[in-house]
Amino acid sequence: MVQLVGSLRKELADSLSACRVLVVGAGGIGCELLKNLVLTGFKNIEVIDLDIIDVSNLNRQFLFQKKHVGKSKAQVAKESVLQFCPTANITAYHDSIMNPEYNVEFFRNFMLVMNALDNRAARNHVNRMCLAADIPLIESGTAGYLGQVTVIKKGLTECYECQPKPTQKTFPGCTIRNTPSEPIHCIVWAKYLFNQLFGEEDADQEVSPDTADPELSWNPADTEARATASDQDGDIKRVSTKDWARSTGYDAVKLFNKDCLSESLFKDDIQYLLTMDKLWKKRKAPLPLDWLEIQKLGKILEVTGTGLKDQQVLGVAGYSQLFSRSVETLRSMLADKGDGAELVWDKDDPPAMDFVTAAANLRMHIFSMNMKSRFDIKSMAGNIIPAIATTNAVIAGLIVLEALKILSGDVEQCRTIFLNKQPNPRKKLLVPCALDPPSANCYVCASKPEVTVKLNVHNTLVLALQDKILKEKFGMVAPDVQIEDGKGTILISSEEGETEANNSKFLSDFGIRHGSRLQVDDFLQDYTLLVNVIHCEDLEKDVEFEVVGDAPDKAPTPPSAQEDKNVANGNKDSAEPSTSSKAPAEQDDVLIVDSDEEEPSSSTMDVRMESGGHKRKLHDAETGEASAKRQRLDQPLAADEEDDDIIALD
Amino acid sequence: QFEMIDMIEKEESIISEEEAAQYDRQIRLWGLDAQKRLRGSRVLLVGLRGLGAEVAKNLILAGVKGLTLLDHEQVTEESCRAQFLIPVTAQGQNRAQASLERAQYLNPMVEVKADTDRVETKPDKFFLQFEAVCLTGCSRDLMVRVDQLCAQHNIKVFCGDVFGYHGYMFSDLGQEHNYVEEKPKVVKPKTDESNDGPEAKKPKVDPNETTMIKKTASFCSLKVALEVDWTNEKAKSSLKRTPVDYFLLHVLLKFRTDKGRDPHPESFEADATLLRQIRDDVLEAMGLSSELLPHDFVSYCFSEMAPVCAVVGGVLGQEVVKALSQRDAPHKNFFFFDGMKGSGVVDYFGPK
Repeated sequence: MVQLVGSLRKELADSLSACRVLVVGAGGIGCELLKNLVLTGFKNIEVIDLDIIDVSNLNRQFLFQKKHVGKSKAQVAKESVLQFCPTANITAYHDSIMNPEYNVEFFRNFMLVMNALDNRAARNHVNRMCLAADIPLIESGTAGYLGQVTVIKKGLTECYECQPKPTQKTFPGCTIRNTPSEPIHCIVWAKYLFNQLFGEEDADQEVSPDTADPELSWNPADTEARATASDQDGDIKRVSTKDWARSTGYDAVKLFNKDCLSESLFKDDIQYLLTMDKLWKKRKAPLPLDWLEIQKLGKILEVTGTGLKDQQVLGVAGYSQLFSRSVETLRSMLADKGDGAELVWDKDDPPAMDFVTAAANLRMHIFSMNMKSRFDIKSMAGNIIPAIATTNAVIAGLIVLEALKILSGDVEQCRTIFLNKQPNPRKKLLVPCALDPPSANCYVCASKPEVTVKLNVHNTLVLALQDKILKEKFGMVAPDVQIEDGKGTILISSEEGETEANNSKFLSDFGIRHGSRLQVDDFLQDYTLLVNVIHCEDLEKDVEFEVVGDAPDKAPTPPSAQEDKNVANGNKDSAEPSTSSKAPAEQDDVLIVDSDEEEPSSSTMDVRMESGGHKRKLHDAETGEASAKRQRLDQPLAADEEDDDIIALD
Repeated sequence: QFEMIDMIEKEESIISEEEAAQYDRQIRLWGLDAQKRLRGSRVLLVGLRGLGAEVAKNLILAGVKGLTLLDHEQVTEESCRAQFLIPVTAQGQNRAQASLERAQYLNPMVEVKADTDRVETKPDKFFLQFEAVCLTGCSRDLMVRVDQLCAQHNIKVFCGDVFGYHGYMFSDLGQEHNYVEEKPKVVKPKTDESNDGPEAKKPKVDPNETTMIKKTASFCSLKVALEVDWTNEKAKSSLKRTPVDYFLLHVLLKFRTDKGRDPHPESFEADATLLRQIRDDVLEAMGLSSELLPHDFVSYCFSEMAPVCAVVGGVLGQEVVKALSQRDAPHKNFFFFDGMKGSGVVDYFGPK
């Protein structure tokens, strides 16, 4: 005789009240999940989120109201839940899950961990922590109308990193600097310009014409020669924007004279590009703006139609005025901050957004592209993923159902479930698929993970190894690196300050060469990775390293069961924090969108934490490609999709 | 007299700054036009149990003009635990009334009202003030009657329930439901004539450009959908591909009609026995084998499971949004969710 407590068998209901669970994230999925958990009978819940509430969250993160804007999501979520379930035992952490305080011991407190995240770095990290602690993890993600849920159990299923995920798109420097052909190129350029003028300088974010463009010469030796020449040439056109700014002695008048700056960017630089005539043999040549003429057109009247104010597209005169205004505002914001100050681009900061809107549009106009509204540019520049309540509600419901299976001891009943926008040919809107076993050569969960990396040992800095390769690419938070040279030389220590002196040296300075092996440990993640080094001198331009075995980055592949598995892994899934355009590329126009400031590395995040007042955008649900591209309409039956008609499952 | 026309009149007025900021992420998904249509729509929601609360939340967050919560039942200790809108102190109050405050807090821009009457006592004209009606926890007869009435007046009708791990939703959007679908613009690639030099990069047509295509869908009534004839050969052969939940629904609706309530854990034994009896009767009357619903089906249809309410409420809520905004293909005409398997299917029952 089955004893029921509500809908559940008594034993299950009892174990729900007793167990402790962790919810990582209190945003779109998180709010729905917390509600489902307490209504289902879970009593001991811990929730962590580093973010604060924004008005744009209110269309779906229903535990928050307008009066809560600016407050901690985890904290307010807890309070709201207690309103309708005062007996729930909820602990809220306004913190990052990647904080070393949340070590393996911390994770071992829980019977189950459920992710409600929107970025890959955190997912990778939690994946490793759950593997280390051997705790089941339920992963999920949503984007627009699409969503998915899956279960990760060490030894039984694939881990989150078993399947390579598409990395974020970046564009080659020459496309951004010389030959943009799509609005996104101009938007990336505008963001780079913002950093060059007001923000953190980055050698990978140059905006001036690129004389080392491979297209300028079919002879590689020529390109080399030009690049060298530009270094020696004192011609102001060929040095970096930041250097140009420096060369004016940061003379406020000259530097930020709106006309002077604009003339330089939108007329002089364009005229310079025109001299590189090889570029324009098969392309429409850019048209320099006659800045002063445009200024004479006077004040623009903004017409409001039935659309949103932001959805209007102004004319060239309008954007030139917007550019001047925003430069002036940003200039004074920078001045107010004092010496050595920097601004950080933020899509929700009006002058910053105005600046990018204006600069991108002016560049689009110059390169004969139709200009776009602030609304559209904000989507692209801010990596905004549209989001609604219902998708999150469905996914969060599915998460709890999977949780119940795990707690009942029925892990073999667990599935990956995809939520589609429309039913597939077999009428399924929700598609359960069997879970895959772990991948034998997964570089995270295999028994002795190993990877091979191609790079140039003579010009790769130790710092680059740490930040771009180990942290960004391989998802480590606090790597320790030993060279397997018989001496156990310590190259990088996660202890602050210990190996700082090594950062500015090259790998070859430590005897690292072709065939060297590095043992990399992240003790927080309880993760050891062996890195084999292949020395390579002819990596492509803008490419700092290549991981052997990575699929080359291509245009979105035709829908397939494989890709579909990665579809809605989260809002930030395709906005991987690759701050450089250095990902390996086969074709120019197939590359990956530049990562966003919304997703800095953890060190930058700590700085932002301290700067108080400054809003944390980090894990705001923004990212990646338009969900329209990911629609899985009319899919053939996926290889492992369940089909009750054919296979008796019960 | 309120006149309904085919296309829901969208208010030409400007979306306020506040709305633009709050609805930003959904406007970016379904467009400003859809948002305006939502903003002009009044919806009736009957039943504020677990599923009702989920639908209420979803529609209020979406930004409809008004939502009327209709429920004559009182809050019990159990209903406090069943949904998240009713405060724990509200026992003895009317369910709709008790849900009102928290529902309104979800989005102050929506007019949320509570109505404590029994839905059976409402006159026809009561329903005519809404663009859409959503019925949960209602008897079969009532749903059929309201559906018939509303369809005549081009009011969109939705029904839904959750029974334990199972749930369904049904929609009747009328004989001629017009909507649009956004499709990417097809760009013909230009052939590259020249062979010398580096590959040229021509200014591309914006790959994100889309076009709106107008479509129409036709729906049948609930009565017809439930009265499908299974005795003919064609129907029998399609049985293999038919979700059993369709038959489970018949059984549960019959239970509800006969007992005036849903199966309750407190009377598990008696209710389970009755359920099996009803199964036999219902399937026999349809000319089908009672083995279509396996013996243990009773274990999984008691009470409303919160996560199942979330899933069904999410799908149902989105169907209402689609219908009101007249955007994107509606599911036609049933959605069945099996929370044990995690499967959710859309299937059509009615005339071809």
